[in-house]
Amino acid sequence: MVFVSDVHKSFGPVRAVRGVSFELRPGQIAGLLGPNGAGKTTTIRMITGALIPDHGRVTIDGLDASNSSAGARRMLGYLPESAPIYPEMKVREYLDFRGRLFGLERGLRKKAIAYAMDRCWLTDVANRRVGKLSKGYKQRTGLAAALLHNPKVLVLDEPTNGLDPTQIRETRQLIRELGKDRTMLISSHILPEVERLCDRVIIVAAGRVRADGSPAELVQRTGATYLIDAKLVKEGDDERVLKMMLSVPYVADVSMRGARSTGLGSPWRQWIVSARPGAPDLREHIALAMAEAKISVRELHAELDTLEQVFMRILDEADASPDAGLAAKERVTAA
Amino acid sequence: MTTTTTRPPTSSLATAAAACITLARREFTSYFRQPAGWIIIALYLFLASLVFCLYTLVPGRPASLRDFFAISGWLLLPVAPAITMRLISEELRSGTIESLLTSPAGSWSLVLGKFIGACAFLLAMLLPSALYVVALARYATLPLDAGPIISGYVCLALVGLLYLGIGTLASALTSNSTLAFMLALFAILGLMFAEAAGAQAPPGLREILFSLSLSPRLADFAKGVIDTGHVVFFLTGAGVCVVGAAVVMELRRWR
Repeated sequence: MVFVSDVHKSFGPVRAVRGVSFELRPGQIAGLLGPNGAGKTTTIRMITGALIPDHGRVTIDGLDASNSSAGARRMLGYLPESAPIYPEMKVREYLDFRGRLFGLERGLRKKAIAYAMDRCWLTDVANRRVGKLSKGYKQRTGLAAALLHNPKVLVLDEPTNGLDPTQIRETRQLIRELGKDRTMLISSHILPEVERLCDRVIIVAAGRVRADGSPAELVQRTGATYLIDAKLVKEGDDERVLKMMLSVPYVADVSMRGARSTGLGSPWRQWIVSARPGAPDLREHIALAMAEAKISVRELHAELDTLEQVFMRILDEADASPDAGLAAKERVTAA
Repeated sequence: MTTTTTRPPTSSLATAAAACITLARREFTSYFRQPAGWIIIALYLFLASLVFCLYTLVPGRPASLRDFFAISGWLLLPVAPAITMRLISEELRSGTIESLLTSPAGSWSLVLGKFIGACAFLLAMLLPSALYVVALARYATLPLDAGPIISGYVCLALVGLLYLGIGTLASALTSNSTLAFMLALFAILGLMFAEAAGAQAPPGLREILFSLSLSPRLADFAKGVIDTGHVVFFLTGAGVCVVGAAVVMELRRWR
């Protein structure tokens, strides 16, 4: 549906986007996640055709996005960051203006406006001036305008930025509903938002895609940590258990919290096993190995990284890579 | 469950024309939604009426609108840039340009629509001056000569068209509307004084400056002479500026 192929964009000496590629399948809700200055908005502006890539290509349903002819633009609804709208216009009037711009005929336009206002809970404020509306209503007016021509693809740039918690909840609910029958790309630097809304996360930093997958895949990617609370069969058995655990497939590292934390002379030990990235669930393997060694386990617990930890790790990796730098300065980490 | 569908465009030209009209209409009405539009009209009409009442509507004076046209020509100098200063600058500043440029309208319809909207506003501003014609016809002892009045309006429209074109281009160049105003004003003043500058310039440049100069053309207009060459000059000038503004907008996507 949306095909982004190796796009680059520089503004003078600043290389904002340095080779971003991804493809959105129909019906997918993807989140473009990254710190401020990562190149999210520039990427989005290239998808919407507001900017033309220096290199690479964007197509929407096979149509070139940089071509200003109406084709790709009719496929796409776009909510720019902070939803700028003429303050002197009334909500219904603005929607009418947008409908006309997209060439919707009178009857169709009326229906589309009624539908979009209903969908975005705007009917109450239809005759209010946009400049007098709260930020939440303004955002919804922008969303309604993006929906008007019933686009197959919706691109939302920071849709909940600056909203209060109630408005955020309402807007998320709306986005979730809209995503049922559309392809969506949502840019955000707010992790929980992406985690809740999207079935795919594309993490960008310093102008490149650093990770791409479902939230579950990303979390799995870095590997889990297992906490094991078990009793030694005899004194000085630590070494044997350690070796045994290291022989379990996919185990990367084992460390032990000894008697100090569990009480002096106690046979109880706590082991911390970290799995390799991409490992399957190891709980069963560990339990079997323990049973074979006749060690009684009273607790075995898997701890997955949160998406936030994954995100932070990916950003650290991006920072460590030689091309990082510019984006790192203005970084505001996730809420 | 969706009730709306997008009809395929009849033709890209028809879509562009429709978008152009939509944008012109929005622009025109937005002048009257803001105090600025009313203030521009009020100031212009106040000064124009003052001239009309003090110099023309005086017993013994010839029944012509010459003074009114002369003052209007001068008043256009600050008024036209004031009309166009926010045209595109404000869209660039507030970010509303984004959703316009990503609509099927595109840069060309956008610029042309806005220019037409500004022209319509200028027309609306000049419209009340028709009352002067009525007043003159009512109180003049001799029958009114329609020729100079019609040519006066044509000249005013041509000059206005060029000034608004320059203003539109200036507005496309910057997101700062004050700067857009100054750019347009100085560009027009530059054209005004091109003749004087040309007299000092080396040959070659001199011819160019003379041909661009506004003052001899305005002087001809003041005499009531409408030269085809002048008409072509003003229309081409306005056209070049509007095309220039569209090119600037298109280049913004590439920058």
